[in-house]
Amino acid sequence: MSLWRQLARGMRALTHRAAAERDVADEVGHYVEQATAANVARGLPPDEARRAALLEIGNVTRVREQVGGAGWEAAVESFVADLRYAGRMLRKSPVFSMVTILVVSLGTGAVTTIFSATNAMLLRPLPGAHDARRLYSIDRKHTNGNEGMTASYPYYVWIRDHSRSFDGIVAWNDMPITISVAGAGAAAYGNIVTGNYFGVLGVKPELGRFFAPDEDQTPLTHPVMVISDAFWRTKFGADSTIIGRAVLVNGHQFTIIGVVPPSFRSVYIPLKSDAWIPVMMESQVRPGHSLTDPSDISLRLFARLKDGVSTGAARQEATALTASWIEAGSETMPWAKKYSVARLVPLSGLPEDATKAITGFFFLLLGASALVLLIASVNVAAMLSARAVARRREMAVRAALGAGRGRLVRQLLTESLVLFALGAMGGIAVAIFATRALERLPLPDEISLDLAPDYRAIGFALVVTLVTGIVFGLAPALQGARTDISKRIREDAAASGVRRTAMGNLLIVGQLSLSLLLLVAAGLFLRALDRGNRIDPGFESTGVSVATLNTESWGYDSAKAREFYRALRERIKGEHGVASVALAGVTPLTAQDNGVSIYRDQSGGAESVHATESRMRSGMAAVDADYFTTLRIPIVRGRSITASDDDRSERVAVINETFAHTLWPDGGAVGSTFTYDSNRVTVVGVARDSKYVWLTEAKTPFVYFPLAQQWAPRQYLLVRSSVPAAPTAIAIQRAVQAIDRGLPAPLVTTLREANSVVLLPQRVAAIVTGALGLIGLVMATVGLYGIISFSVNRRGREIGIRIALGARRSDVLRMVVREGMRLAAFGVAIGVLLAAAATRLLASFLFNVSPLDVLTFAAMSALFLGIAFFSSYFPARRAAASDPMVALRTD
Amino acid sequence: MDEQTTDVIQGTLDMLILKTLSLEPMHGFGIARRIEQISRGVFKVNPGSLLTAFQRLERAGLLDAEWRQTENSRRAKFYALTRSGRKQLDVETADWARRATAVARLLRAEG
Repeated sequence: MSLWRQLARGMRALTHRAAAERDVADEVGHYVEQATAANVARGLPPDEARRAALLEIGNVTRVREQVGGAGWEAAVESFVADLRYAGRMLRKSPVFSMVTILVVSLGTGAVTTIFSATNAMLLRPLPGAHDARRLYSIDRKHTNGNEGMTASYPYYVWIRDHSRSFDGIVAWNDMPITISVAGAGAAAYGNIVTGNYFGVLGVKPELGRFFAPDEDQTPLTHPVMVISDAFWRTKFGADSTIIGRAVLVNGHQFTIIGVVPPSFRSVYIPLKSDAWIPVMMESQVRPGHSLTDPSDISLRLFARLKDGVSTGAARQEATALTASWIEAGSETMPWAKKYSVARLVPLSGLPEDATKAITGFFFLLLGASALVLLIASVNVAAMLSARAVARRREMAVRAALGAGRGRLVRQLLTESLVLFALGAMGGIAVAIFATRALERLPLPDEISLDLAPDYRAIGFALVVTLVTGIVFGLAPALQGARTDISKRIREDAAASGVRRTAMGNLLIVGQLSLSLLLLVAAGLFLRALDRGNRIDPGFESTGVSVATLNTESWGYDSAKAREFYRALRERIKGEHGVASVALAGVTPLTAQDNGVSIYRDQSGGAESVHATESRMRSGMAAVDADYFTTLRIPIVRGRSITASDDDRSERVAVINETFAHTLWPDGGAVGSTFTYDSNRVTVVGVARDSKYVWLTEAKTPFVYFPLAQQWAPRQYLLVRSSVPAAPTAIAIQRAVQAIDRGLPAPLVTTLREANSVVLLPQRVAAIVTGALGLIGLVMATVGLYGIISFSVNRRGREIGIRIALGARRSDVLRMVVREGMRLAAFGVAIGVLLAAAATRLLASFLFNVSPLDVLTFAAMSALFLGIAFFSSYFPARRAAASDPMVALRTD
Repeated sequence: MDEQTTDVIQGTLDMLILKTLSLEPMHGFGIARRIEQISRGVFKVNPGSLLTAFQRLERAGLLDAEWRQTENSRRAKFYALTRSGRKQLDVETADWARRATAVARLLRAEG
């Protein structure tokens, strides 16, 4: 009641200000009148009585202010007045205001950009899903805890039907598909999902409906699909009559039943998703897949945890169910029986294995951007405190007129906060632009990023700016509001100048050292990029184009696919400039890890070796006869794969040197055998080692199987040609569509471009730390220039005396420049120490470039000293050119 | 409603206002005069503090205020005690009596 009354009265006083003031005036007036009347009654003459009454009450205005200023609304009023005053002050010195706001914008912009990206990739719950915190992916793990396996449909059904911990479990996977509308095929990314997918996620259709229960019961009976908002807009022009339209998916007719709202993209957010198809239709769009075969493991699982069930209990239940599934003998593959542990991981929008790698990287960038914000704030604090000195007279006048110290601090702090608030707006704008730029980085085609700041990132920007505004605005405000006037006048002469310069010097040294740290990091990343580009991958990528083809996504069966690939190869071989054409299941050095298990054959039979000891992990690629010539990988022993190694002939393999050394250290690899996938395979040749997945990888065993013996519908067409990449790409696309006119044009890039994905972390880090470091350097330079100019102005008289006494101008020049260089040397020294301590955190990204790389450290230090020289040279020249008579006459 | 009890002078002023108003509704000057009269001039009330106190007590719901027209057609604000104001007066009176007794006892012991 009382609080309500407080609020209501206060609000009335605020909104009806004139009425509230009149009330107070009337009450005070009535008081005076009554007092006068009482005095008259005591026998005083009327004007005497009134004077006595006024004397008693004191200063009427003061009383009115006292009464009017008693409620909380008075604080609001004074805040509004402060804001108005702050606005006036900022408009009065537009250059100062613009520079400050710009500096704050860059600082908050940097940190908000990185936070926004981190938030989009790692922090926020799955966008578009309802109550995403209860969504967990269920991962089946090896008992050794590391390797995971995907799920088969029978396993999914077992878990779904027996678990009690979840409000629904979903199975899904993704695949490239071709959606044909009116004869023209478009490559798209499809999701194969169980019917409860959208229900468990809690996504509502934007248009139409999602899958009905009967569409999730019987195989191949309900060819329906749901499309994404983006696909609906780009391919159908947001046609609202789209529901019920028939399209071809991989050559089979499907009916569109719904459109997914734009807020939901995919379960793995960076993954493009254009269409969703019920898992019951899988074998139609993806021939060869089965819903009854427990060895067909292509599905991932996620589930919504029931209210009140702990993740621990749910994990135990899922593990117990997995164990009973294996015990019941339902798992037909012997190796899969080891995968008996279930794990629950929050469905955060990234595959589990990607999360760890990305987290460290983003926190590194976040740290770098925080440094820039620190530099920016320090800079603003320096500018504010310089301004506080300039405004001493104003503050003294206000103090003399009766403003208390607290009132002055509040006023100055309000001004800082207004600057920071405007800077926050600028920072958010910077973040919007910068995240857009980051989204355009060269990424694999199936990945698209949405890094734009959401309300969390914007809230983060506001909070960060508010806190830095208070922290870095408070000291200058306290300094500016010192109201002991007489002391200040005395200080003016010498002491405060020295102290202010000392403080300023400290700030400049800090800025210089932090920006040097950032630029050293950027330099190291650049060196790593350069080193990475020059690492010999063991194959020749220049002049090779890569086309990604997937006959499965066109609805081809195996025979038709083989015929297609044969025809395509013939066609392209005939193109002008083409030297060789190869097909492979994997493109080397594109971060695709394709490991298999190899078993050593115990042909000697002397000792019995345990099965686990004879097992070896190896990288694997299925390649055709021209692969080694196309990529120019030498065969060091034995022969290459030939066209006659097909599915009717003996199983053979070419292995790399590391593979040969590991299994046959004494030589004799060619002609030996090993077991893979229950087949005995004969080694026919040894190829030279090369890089397969990452540039940083250690030497790993690798095996090449003949494509014809290891068939897969997804192939990479590698074309070595003397013709430039662009016409080659067009020739490949034409050739594909000449064979089958309905096919979408395949994606073609150069092998160099495809390989560049393994340098992406270094490239992003170099760009981000470089940009941040340059911003920091510019700020530090401006700061240094400012402080040297200030010092020159302050010492104008001294310099005048020196010149008058015969100092040469070059002496003055040298003296001032030396002052700047001393600061810069301190900054560089501290920066080098900081960098030396910090860069070892980057070691894993640097390809053996030393974190203490002398070239980088020396170059960056020299750059800083050079820039410092120029930013003190110009004020120094001004000082040296000054007329001693003018300098002596001032003050 | 314990927001003024720490400050002795202010606490006393509030209590005196409440006590004065417990007899009849009154305007500002009347209250000041009454306090002076009854205390036989010991307390001289500062009008600024008095009018501020009115506003505070009114906001706290202890006083009701009403504008009335005076004979020479000025507006005058009359204050009256509310029910919670009466309760507060009882609380403060009891509290004051307790403290006064304690202080008196202490002073006697010292003497």
